[in-house]
Amino acid sequence: MEITIINKQDDSIHFLVEDVDVAFANAIRRTMLTKLPAMAIDEVLILENTSVMYDEMIAQRLGLIPIVTDLDSYNLPQDCECEGKGCSLCQCTLTLEVEPEDEEVVVYSRSLTSQDPKIVPASGNIPITKLAPHQRLIIEAYARLGTGAENAKFQPVATVAYKYVPVISVDKSKCNLCEECVKICPKNIMKVDGSTLSTQNTLDCSLCEACVDVCEPGAITIDSKKNAFLFKVESTGSLSPETIVSKTAEILKTRIQAALDYANSLR
Amino acid sequence: MIIPVRCFTCGKVVADKYEQFKSEVQQGEDPAAVLDRLGLQRYCCRRMLLAHIDIIDSFMAFATSDVVEGV
Ligand code: SF4
Ligand code: SF4
Ligand SMILES: [Zn+2]
Ligand SMILES: [Zn+2]
Repeated sequence: MEITIINKQDDSIHFLVEDVDVAFANAIRRTMLTKLPAMAIDEVLILENTSVMYDEMIAQRLGLIPIVTDLDSYNLPQDCECEGKGCSLCQCTLTLEVEPEDEEVVVYSRSLTSQDPKIVPASGNIPITKLAPHQRLIIEAYARLGTGAENAKFQPVATVAYKYVPVISVDKSKCNLCEECVKICPKNIMKVDGSTLSTQNTLDCSLCEACVDVCEPGAITIDSKKNAFLFKVESTGSLSPETIVSKTAEILKTRIQAALDYANSLR
Repeated sequence: MIIPVRCFTCGKVVADKYEQFKSEVQQGEDPAAVLDRLGLQRYCCRRMLLAHIDIIDSFMAFATSDVVEGV
């Protein structure tokens, strides 16, 4: 297996994996979505809420705020010594108290004060609600680790997708440089350079085959490489993209080992 | 009511981008260009901002600061 990083940003990573099959690529994707733990607010104690929004709506919005996760210092509640009751090893308390003076204010996620300075909202600019003068919002929220299998708010990834590696070939003898394919391609892959048709940024090709349809049969062929996949992993901000990929590999390994051990024990 | 925290379809956080989107569009910029700049490439996330109406502002007209006991 060979991995090439194509592009890495603060919140996303784009990489190429070679010599793996579809089953493996999909196992990675599904592990990221459902098995990789991340923090989210799971329980909310509303002490006072005189805003125009119902308690439930506020609690739901709080749950969806991505929380920066520290996987090393927190346990999943089911694996914790407290047996899921909630202790400082598996839970973090965030509080919020706002009462505007004489003007309307928007309450943002940055107003949440955390008990642990590492466990904070990944973005401080998420509006939670709006308060009119002298309306009050006093909240205590409990964040914990969970997995996407339980609730999508625990997913550390927004999207994780893979596609085949495109291989575009043009039969130059059939091409009359009409530029139809240049115009139709949504990704600007085709380019006429003087007297030849060339391709650029071929990895962006979406394999839509619109170019094949506009030209005579056999002039353009869109194919894909076998056993190579282009991955795009987009983090919500709770974990860095590198951590997402490396932790996923670890989780997948232990799960495969567990399955193997079980199979061997049946012999 | 108020801008949803995440995109309904893919789960990307969109709420923190709405205010910038709104103010730049009000200044006469092309919404498509603003969305590109905000990093919302997929059409599921783009429609979250494009199609949103802040109804909370209409509710604010009836806001009180009294505690209303639950019915
Ligand atoms: S549409 Fe066909 S003939 Fe026209 S430029 Fe493209 S490859 Fe050449
Ligand atoms: S398959 Fe689609 S994206 Fe790829 S080169 Fe042809 S028209 Fe462009
Ligand atoms: Zn515990
Ligand atoms: Zn989306």
